[in-house]
Amino acid sequence: MLLLTCPNCGNRNVSEFRFGGELSSRPKDPSALSSTEWANYLYMRNNVMDAQTEWWHHNAGCGLWFLAERHTRTNEVIKTYPYAKRNA
Amino acid sequence: MRTEHDILITPNRLHPKGGEVIDRTTTIRFTFDGVEYTAHPGDTVASALTAAGVQVLSRSFKYHRPRGLLCCSGHCPNCLVQIGDEPNVRACTRPVEAGMEVRAQNVWPSLNRDLLSLTQLGSRFMPVGFYYKTFIRPQKLWPLYEHTLRHIAGLGEVHIDTPLGEFDKQYLHTDVVVAGGGPAGIGAALAAAEAGAQVLLFDENPTLGGHLRFTVPMDSSSPPEASKNLPELLEAVNHQPNITVFTDTSVLGWYQDHWLCAVKGTRLFKIRTKSVIVATGAYEVPLIFDNNDLPGVMLGSAVQRLVHLFGVLPGKQVVIVTANEDGWDVAADLQSLGVNVGAIVEERESNACSSPYRDGLINAGVPVFYRHIIVEALGSNAVRGAKITRIDEHGEISPKTTQSLHCDLIVTSMGWTPATELAYMAGGKSEYNEERAEIIPVSTPPGIYVVGRASGTHALDSQIAEAQQIGTAAAAFVGFGEVDGLTAHSPDISKPRRTSERVCVPGNKKRFVCYCEDVTDEDVQTAIAEGYDSIELLKRYSTISMGPCQGAMCSMNTIHLCAHANSSTIQETGTTTARPPTTPVTLGALAGQNMEPVQTTPIHQWHLDHGADMMVAGFWLRPNHYGDPASEAMGVRERAGLIDVSPLGKLQLTGPGVPELLERIYTNQWKNLPVGRVRYGVMCNDEGVVLNDGVCAHLNDETWYMTTTSTGATPIFEWLQWWLQSGWGEGIHLTDLTDAYSAFNLAGPQSRAVLEKLTDRNLTNKAFPYMRVRSAKVADVPCRLLRIGFTGELSYEVHCPSAYALHIWEALMDAGREFGIAPFGVEAQRILRLEKAHIIVGQDTDAMSDPLSANMAWAVKLDKPDFLGKPSLMRISTEGPKQLLVGFKMVDSDVVPDEGLQIVEPDADGRLTITGWVTSSRFSPTLAEAIGLCWLPPELASQDGAPFTIRIDGNLVEARVHHDAFYDPDGERLRM
Repeated sequence: MLLLTCPNCGNRNVSEFRFGGELSSRPKDPSALSSTEWANYLYMRNNVMDAQTEWWHHNAGCGLWFLAERHTRTNEVIKTYPYAKRNA
Repeated sequence: MRTEHDILITPNRLHPKGGEVIDRTTTIRFTFDGVEYTAHPGDTVASALTAAGVQVLSRSFKYHRPRGLLCCSGHCPNCLVQIGDEPNVRACTRPVEAGMEVRAQNVWPSLNRDLLSLTQLGSRFMPVGFYYKTFIRPQKLWPLYEHTLRHIAGLGEVHIDTPLGEFDKQYLHTDVVVAGGGPAGIGAALAAAEAGAQVLLFDENPTLGGHLRFTVPMDSSSPPEASKNLPELLEAVNHQPNITVFTDTSVLGWYQDHWLCAVKGTRLFKIRTKSVIVATGAYEVPLIFDNNDLPGVMLGSAVQRLVHLFGVLPGKQVVIVTANEDGWDVAADLQSLGVNVGAIVEERESNACSSPYRDGLINAGVPVFYRHIIVEALGSNAVRGAKITRIDEHGEISPKTTQSLHCDLIVTSMGWTPATELAYMAGGKSEYNEERAEIIPVSTPPGIYVVGRASGTHALDSQIAEAQQIGTAAAAFVGFGEVDGLTAHSPDISKPRRTSERVCVPGNKKRFVCYCEDVTDEDVQTAIAEGYDSIELLKRYSTISMGPCQGAMCSMNTIHLCAHANSSTIQETGTTTARPPTTPVTLGALAGQNMEPVQTTPIHQWHLDHGADMMVAGFWLRPNHYGDPASEAMGVRERAGLIDVSPLGKLQLTGPGVPELLERIYTNQWKNLPVGRVRYGVMCNDEGVVLNDGVCAHLNDETWYMTTTSTGATPIFEWLQWWLQSGWGEGIHLTDLTDAYSAFNLAGPQSRAVLEKLTDRNLTNKAFPYMRVRSAKVADVPCRLLRIGFTGELSYEVHCPSAYALHIWEALMDAGREFGIAPFGVEAQRILRLEKAHIIVGQDTDAMSDPLSANMAWAVKLDKPDFLGKPSLMRISTEGPKQLLVGFKMVDSDVVPDEGLQIVEPDADGRLTITGWVTSSRFSPTLAEAIGLCWLPPELASQDGAPFTIRIDGNLVEARVHHDAFYDPDGERLRM
């Protein structure tokens, strides 16, 4: 079972977490988008075979939503960090 | 001492000697297919039966050929038996218990006269893949085929009335796991433990020691002393506090980040470790020749196990077929026990044989046939002889030189294949080592180590040295001590123990590659000729390695056959992917205890004491009813009722940012909601799909109190946390009060009168109108009162600290007695809400439902600034909904259609088109009518009273669209 390091709680079994999908952000002004752009936001994912930045939620722990960089082929978790430190 | 009686009933039992695991002072009895046999404590079922001279233990899967002991190590399928209710038990590893009832599996009418073996007469009509080829047409006969095939093929019987066994799971945490407790595993465990690491040492056998329990160390020059080194090693393990030993335990699989799964009987272990040392030894590889599955053809290691552990020899006249020193070890071993070794059939030239026992055996008069090989096992139900032949200068067999040897036991020792599944599961890479004729691991991921025979190291002194090195390296990997220079693994092949490259001797009878599924070498050739020529395809098509042995007996031979047929190398042919489990595991062990955790409310015991019929709703146990849901519903309509709604999600939001957040997550207006007001709201995701609904109360300036559906409590809390933590959380604090607060809905025309007895708060309609929130002491406890109406009657939702919940519940019940109050359950609430046509998210809506279509357009304000789902809802609003959720009444009020039934429209020819479906339906006790909610096409749904048909059990039954609530459509009773 994969281990994930919660930025608050440390190294835990992945069963304590909920996967939240790859990092994407809601458009600032949805009303300015065409239908295609809105549909892309809703349904299109990059689905890379590489290191991916993704959301995880420590739902059996502290409740933090954080970001993980995980390689989608090897499952290697490169690092985890709070959303607030995404640009650090 | 043996008595005459013992000899009669256990003719194959040898004289007592050291190293045995049986207690000869005690005799127990058990039955096999109804016949009574004796055993000693420590015997396995198979060793006891072998001692008694029983050779046929099972019938094969497809052809029902007699099968006897082959590997005697719990890896092959030949000794699978049924013990009581338990199918597919390996007789060679299961200890005998007094009174045990053992039966043969998959035989008719009996093990020794199995008429189903006639299937092999038609075997040319049952080629590899015959299921796919034969039984596909005509399709309607498949049930007949299936029934017959299920009877002929298969293994043990599952009794569905067998009571649930006791299974459990245990979690273990450690630094280093050593899988396999032979000399290499013990040595590595000791080295790691001495460096300071915590070590768990697993072995599938009842005691540690591996092959030292029953073999002669090959580098030992002294006469056979099977367990010369073992006592020292066991003593060292006992004195090492850092090692915990688990015997009778198989490590089933490696998973991500060194998470292992192991099983010991009915207990499953889940193990988190930092490093794994694979010391799982090697499987002895069978030789493929005519009738190689005949009972009495056994692997050398199997015979050594029987002889040394159980004092049992399954024959009197032994022929040993070998291509390496192991066969000579076995011969010397048997010779020393006084057994008559009839012949040694050696594939190699005499000068290639370097066994230290060679001269001794020859001097003792044992005939040796160099450069010979077996071509056929003779006999019908058991071995009566061996046909051998010379190998010519080209390496081919020469039929002219064939001769027969009389014997009742054929022992093959052709070579080994490392048991490295765990290392490969972890991502280890292997290579074919031509010198050894073994596929051995060449690289492993960090923290994974392979040692001993699993790594290709056979010589005992080399194993011990390698184990020291590997154990130290593993300890250093997890942070204990240092290691100098060990980076890559290199097996010790300085004392080569060659495995023969010859895996198959041609002939004209059946030669089995796969004992589990009865696959012959001809089947393999056929499959390859049909194009299944890659090892992975060959496996799937022929089912080789997919049976109970999981490839232990057949993988290596199949790779050889595949490589040969394709004229490619072993390296090019490769191996199949190793996957858990390494050995079969019962579903009971995987399932563990029958545990479905549920939450109970503080009123749980009261509900039970008052006759509640409890149901699981989400994660909660809730009263479904207290006997008569219809009269509970009528009680609410006419008097007063009390329902425990504690499972509701209860979230408190504080801070200046809350109104803006509510505007974004609900589809309606929130900034204009004054303090003291409650509003209903719908939450959608950005696709415009309804996620949840509930009310939110504005408690004071910066405090809001939100309720969600019971099942939505956790997902909505997580979802809100995401929006708050990903950018919308400025000035907002979110607290989950779901468990801290309990809640009851006091509903019915008398509810005000009931509540007035317990509070000083002015409850008049003027002071506390509909859709308002008030703080008040109820029965001296500070509570929050929400005047809302899911049931359609005047009602107060009382939210109170959970610690006082029972006190308040009982106070409300006491106060209501004079008004005829009664508790009501989930079912009555479902009736009441349906009479009001109130929807339940998840019952009436699904993952495609938007609020505009779900009759909640009134709660969607498309003219407010951005909110979740707005662009999607705008689009739906423009294009018009495809289906609408609407109420209906049945024309025949006695017919209540089941929820989920289809709504159909017949065309002129009577063909039906599905146009909708029923989501909720009940008989309304208030109206004495059958009512419900359903999804219909908009043109139909928009006409009040429009008729449509529901298909019930094939009949078309009429219903009519009903707009508005069925009961009190103007909502006057809510505002009383």
